Amino acid sequence: MMDHCFVLAKDSFAEFFKSLSKLGRVYAPVKVSYQSYSFRQVESHEQIAFEALRTILPPKKYFYPTQETILRYNDGQIEEHKPEIDFQILFGVHPCDLAGLGIMDTIFTAGPADSHYLTRRQSSLIVGLSCMPDKHCFCQSMGTDCPESGYDLFLTDIGDDYLLEVRTAAGVKAVDPIMPLLRAAGQDDESRYKAFWSNRAQAFTNGFKPDNLRSVMAIEWDNKIWDEMADRCLSCGNCTPVCPTCYCFDLVDIASLNGTSGERRREWDSCQFVGFAQVAGNYNFRPGPVDRLKFWYRHKLHGFDDPFGFQTCVGCGRCTVSCPAGIDDIVSVVQALQATNQAKTKHDAN
Amino acid sequence: MMQISTPFMPEKGVIRSIVPMAQDNYLFEFKTDTDRLAACKPGQFVELWVPGVGECPISVCSGRVTESIQLLVRRAGRVTNALFQMSEGDWAGLRGPYGHGFPVERYKGQNLCMVAGGLGIAPIRSLWQYVLDHRQDFGKVILIYGMRHSDEMLFREELKLLLHRGDIQVFLAADDATVCELPPFAMQVGRVTDMIRQAAIDHDFQVAICGPPVMYKYVIEELKAKHVTDQNIWLSLERQMKCGIGKCGHCFIGGRFTCQAGPVFQLADLKFVPELIECDNGGAQ
Repeated sequence: MMDHCFVLAKDSFAEFFKSLSKLGRVYAPVKVSYQSYSFRQVESHEQIAFEALRTILPPKKYFYPTQETILRYNDGQIEEHKPEIDFQILFGVHPCDLAGLGIMDTIFTAGPADSHYLTRRQSSLIVGLSCMPDKHCFCQSMGTDCPESGYDLFLTDIGDDYLLEVRTAAGVKAVDPIMPLLRAAGQDDESRYKAFWSNRAQAFTNGFKPDNLRSVMAIEWDNKIWDEMADRCLSCGNCTPVCPTCYCFDLVDIASLNGTSGERRREWDSCQFVGFAQVAGNYNFRPGPVDRLKFWYRHKLHGFDDPFGFQTCVGCGRCTVSCPAGIDDIVSVVQALQATNQAKTKHDAN
Repeated sequence: MMQISTPFMPEKGVIRSIVPMAQDNYLFEFKTDTDRLAACKPGQFVELWVPGVGECPISVCSGRVTESIQLLVRRAGRVTNALFQMSEGDWAGLRGPYGHGFPVERYKGQNLCMVAGGLGIAPIRSLWQYVLDHRQDFGKVILIYGMRHSDEMLFREELKLLLHRGDIQVFLAADDATVCELPPFAMQVGRVTDMIRQAAIDHDFQVAICGPPVMYKYVIEELKAKHVTDQNIWLSLERQMKCGIGKCGHCFIGGRFTCQAGPVFQLADLKFVPELIECDNGGAQ
């Protein structure tokens, strides 16, 4: 099992970083305020905030920017705008965000594939990093607490060393120059690795039983909890940009003043905005905050079941900490729905 | 590395003709250089792009798409307003065709009733044109078309011709009517639901419906009274289909993207979908 694993001493991390930065631009979590972190370009390993758990925005922004030009037109000519991509290295991506990227990959690869997203994805190297959960993390409940795919390299903190897993061909190429710094993982390293992940599994204080999550969502669709939350919802849309798996967008035209040229741009959109489901003639299929809030929760906990049959919440807790109304506490919502559902079942049994 | 191109690339459609229809509706005919749109099936839609303004989904209203494609457009918003400023020879962008249209193969060998309300006549027209082109493949064919006022009747000339054909029964109704040049008694004062009650529809009819969201509930009730099953009722739904390829999220409904799984859905498939036809129309009628 450990044959693709190496040990990197923490003392050698600076060398490792230097080697990575020769491949392209390195982006990593950086402390940007008293309590927030953000993925930023880093020049030195000292800038990296290893303790960072959730960054303000998930790493999706490097593959799916907040806005990007899709095509340009000029004097009757339409031309695709291909993004100019320098090779980028994302360092410090935690398991929840790796799972999020995996979901984004599925969405944007499904036919017809999104060339802009995939071009960026293909010219990137992802280096994952282990973490210890805080009171908002619930990736364990969503089954995304262990890294399974979506990374090229993954570092697990095993004390004085990192256990370095090499997952892909790109990963092999990336570690090649630093092979002298690495040693093959031995039995002791393997036990330290196992101990880390088992301690981590015990460290979760937040979560719920994931059983029957989809059916509970369906059965409790008319639960009064939705109305109570919607009364407090500001429809600000904060929960969507911070989510690793929210990918809804708008396509807009930016015309130049001469009237004959311009571009077509893609911008992040939010299902929480009132006009999201509005059609011509002012018909709105999700007119109230409750309709839109339920729609978002449905995407996260039930999923877009027909095209992609999986739940899209990865348990990172970003929505919970960034909701100004305090209603995006997914764990409490699920617990409340499950409790009502169980009470009903018991009542029926009696 | 594999090079793929963006799915958002439109092709140029040069406006070949603009025919003003009733009120704020124009029939645009576009000519394109490729045959990408020639595979268009009745009930499918395209994304119409006015450069510098934006895109909107428009139903294809011609049953026979060859080198040109017809779109019936109502001036209703930013994009359509800009389109109405254009003249013959100008160009707009077209992407598509997208979605699943009416399942004409399933309709074959069966009786078919088409129900249209208002602008919903556009996709229904593509269906009747297809059906009449392959008339021997279908059983009885009924067309029911309702509108608010007889002045709003779209495809008036074409409907006149249909009224003279013996192989399609046409019912026309308006809430309010003034004198119109249709043959006597062809037009009635009433709603589509009144016409459904009059028409000889029974349980073995396939029914294709397109109209304003508020219409569906009442039409479905009438069809149920005629014992038409959910399997035989097909609704063309209107949603904000922005990308057309199941990515942008705007048209999501009941676990599916309208732009890919629809816009035509079998009622049985939508039975437990919230937000199916309930909507807020902002006080507008």
